[in-house]
Amino acid sequence: MKVLLTCTVNGEERIVLADTRDTLLELLRDRLALTGTKEGCSNGNCGTCTVLVDGQPVCACLMLAQEAPGCDIVTIEGLAGSAALHPIQQALVEHGGTQCGFCTPGIVLSAKALLDRNPQPTEDDIRHAIAGNLCRCTGYGKIVEAIAAAAATVRGS
Amino acid sequence: MPPVENHARPASDLKVVGKRLPRVDAKERVTGEAIYPADFSLPGMVHARMLRSPHAHARISRIDTSRAEALKGVLAVVTAADFPELPIGTMVPMGETGYDMWMVAQLNMARHKVHWVGQPVAAVAAVDPHVAAEALALIEVDYAPLPAVLDIASAMAPDAPVLHEHVVTKGIEPRPRSASNVCSRTVIARGDAARALEQAPATASISVQVDTAHQGYLEPQVCVAQVDANGFATVWASTQGQFTAELMTARMLGLPLSQVKIVPLEVGGAFGGKIAIHGEAVAVRLAQKCRRPVKLLLTREEVLQGGSGPPAAALIDIAVAAGKDGGLTAITGTYRMDAGGLPGLSPSLVMQASAALYQCPNLDLQGFDIVTNKPRTEAYRGPGGIQAAFAMEQAMDALCQRLGMDPLEFRKRNASVTGSLMPIGTPFPSIGLTAILDEVARHPCWTDPLPRRRHPTGRGLALGYWRGTSMTSAAHITIAGDGRPMITMGPVDISGVRTTMAQVVAEEFGLPLADVYIHTGDSKSVGYSDGAAGSRVARTTTAALVEASRDALGQLRARAAEKLQCPPDQLDYADGSFRARQPGGAAISLPELMQATLTDGAVVGRGVSTKLPLGVEIGAHVCDVEVDTDTGLVTVLRYTAFQDVGLALNPAAVEGQIEGSVVQGLGWALMEGFDYGPDGRLRNASLLDYRMPTALDVPKIDCVIVETPVPNVPYGVRGVGEVPIVPPAAAVANAIARATGARIARMPMTPERVLKALKADI
Repeated sequence: MKVLLTCTVNGEERIVLADTRDTLLELLRDRLALTGTKEGCSNGNCGTCTVLVDGQPVCACLMLAQEAPGCDIVTIEGLAGSAALHPIQQALVEHGGTQCGFCTPGIVLSAKALLDRNPQPTEDDIRHAIAGNLCRCTGYGKIVEAIAAAAATVRGS
Repeated sequence: MPPVENHARPASDLKVVGKRLPRVDAKERVTGEAIYPADFSLPGMVHARMLRSPHAHARISRIDTSRAEALKGVLAVVTAADFPELPIGTMVPMGETGYDMWMVAQLNMARHKVHWVGQPVAAVAAVDPHVAAEALALIEVDYAPLPAVLDIASAMAPDAPVLHEHVVTKGIEPRPRSASNVCSRTVIARGDAARALEQAPATASISVQVDTAHQGYLEPQVCVAQVDANGFATVWASTQGQFTAELMTARMLGLPLSQVKIVPLEVGGAFGGKIAIHGEAVAVRLAQKCRRPVKLLLTREEVLQGGSGPPAAALIDIAVAAGKDGGLTAITGTYRMDAGGLPGLSPSLVMQASAALYQCPNLDLQGFDIVTNKPRTEAYRGPGGIQAAFAMEQAMDALCQRLGMDPLEFRKRNASVTGSLMPIGTPFPSIGLTAILDEVARHPCWTDPLPRRRHPTGRGLALGYWRGTSMTSAAHITIAGDGRPMITMGPVDISGVRTTMAQVVAEEFGLPLADVYIHTGDSKSVGYSDGAAGSRVARTTTAALVEASRDALGQLRARAAEKLQCPPDQLDYADGSFRARQPGGAAISLPELMQATLTDGAVVGRGVSTKLPLGVEIGAHVCDVEVDTDTGLVTVLRYTAFQDVGLALNPAAVEGQIEGSVVQGLGWALMEGFDYGPDGRLRNASLLDYRMPTALDVPKIDCVIVETPVPNVPYGVRGVGEVPIVPPAAAVANAIARATGARIARMPMTPERVLKALKADI
């Protein structure tokens, strides 16, 4: 069955025709063509589909599209301005914190949720914040370094 | 074309190669703009799903798709009947032995029989994924279940049910008369190992069992297929090799190669699991049938439950012997590798790898490739290396304990060196094992006192070797109208090679990295290249690009000579400009030259590497662990990987490869293992139950890069990405043994297994 949903994605009001069975992930990727959010397991286990819902990191595969109305949803496409990268993105580029890149959008959003509430995270805080985001390429070290560097940049600005 | 000679330039002369530079493709990754096949859509595109076998071993007696075809929204259904039946032994090139197309076809669509749970038996294309999933339930398949063999020991039993009537054990004389689950036997021997073992004053032995694991790439297998009005098929794929995928897809469909094009998009991790096709030909057949583009995206459960090829389980026995002086006198080994439901690779490379780093007069290694009713295995980063090292490096460590000898001193005493004999009897080319061991000896990870914690701690050392391969890589460089080199390379980028290869071309042209554009061509726009596997791409593509750069610069030199009215050999080239050699000579930059000659035709430099000398990989790993004696939990406290990389094209990229590879190794060492039920069904087919390391499970991995260039290879580059996964399980096991006295013989070394071993030891 199809339903018409109104929701706020990246600050913009969107009216979407969705299937009642759609998850938020399907709404974003298949209905709104916001393919920066990746699908790794559809089961809430890998964190690749992490988006921010009212500022909190959420696995978009675990939320139904019908729960989206009334929520403020931020995806990787909504993070940076049109020109510059967000400091977290910039730091991942500079520190070699992305390899295949499939986990990267989810890591960026988990890191943003962390820095928004804790601008001075310890290494342990960072590792906890991304513990729900699997990365199979980097071994995490360079991601952790990058987020620490981004925190310093955010504090300095 | 001048031959590509050795670039033994001092590192200080290099301006771009060897520098720690960000990836050229990092921005599209951090912004989510990079396009993986799942992100790619076409107008009118429909969605496919596969029906998979619920049985580990069964004959298919009937498939009725009529009810599925009648469902509203279903556009096409295919089964094996929609593909030509390929004879056994039709090979396509790839890797050491190539792939048998009969086998590739079975991987993608079972015919007559199913050999594992999850093997595809039918596929559906429908207007949306929900309808496709509904349609699967309407396909009727009658199976006649057969007894299944689910592990190596039962597959080798004399009365075991046989999976394949045509498989007769290779490597046994006289040739056996009856079919067997043992596909091949491989022997590597010299001297008299049995006698040496018997006479040695010190011996050690171990028998290990390694569970199947998974490469764990985060992007499931996915492709989009389109067939145009003339029947030309295009597949946008997540693949390690567009040419291998093209060959396999075309052969499985019975299409000429000129009618199939594979476009490699971004790959969300592969590690060996995306060499063979897993659905590409099926998607094309569906697209042909319904005349619409088709997207086939596997679920995570499908990936784990038989829809992809995991690496091999193994049973390995090793015995080693040494004289009182610590000199090795014998190595014997039996390697039984579980290929899953179809014949696998010869264990030869694994056997060689595990014994390669020791000089030993007596060797007796026997390997067996065995089929069982589990998913057909595929490569995983140095395939077989970690399993064999888990056995060999523990045996060596146990031998050190018997001898009362320091494990590093023991390795130094027995280390292979340049010119010493490899297990197959040929001398080693230039290797840097001794240099690595010297680095270990003076590094704090080895000299610092062991940390004291609440529970026992231990320090483990293990070595790793991987031979890698070379095969074919092609590339061409077109000079843009603004004078910039535009690289089209054949190999797919799964390890950051777009960055390192752009660095090579920037170095050759004397230009900044930002002036070079690079991409991988599709299978119709660049020369044949083998897949990205066997640590071969950076080395061979470097050679191809050095050749292509010189070809392009030669063509540019001829144009510059004409423009500057100067003989070509009187021109100097540096930093993007040609200059006449006399004092005050005129100069022309590449942008000026191309603007002035834009209508004279294209400048295209071509290069190919086909038989580059091997760049063998060697590493030594040191780790400290704490073993919780109450729970069996092993915590890795510190981990340092030493590796000879020849020359690090980009140290940040090299570290990235080493760190990621080590963490994959630690995952298999401690937590990753497939848990099959008695029915052959995987009981942990999700990323919750098949647990891979998170950021909380592993420490920062320290890397120490050693550089011993490979002779006659441009820039002296070695393979990098595979060998770091080889030593971790053994390094951890040796650390556990040093901490607790217990040898763990089963991998992964889960808390339960460690606790059991600790209790057995008391």
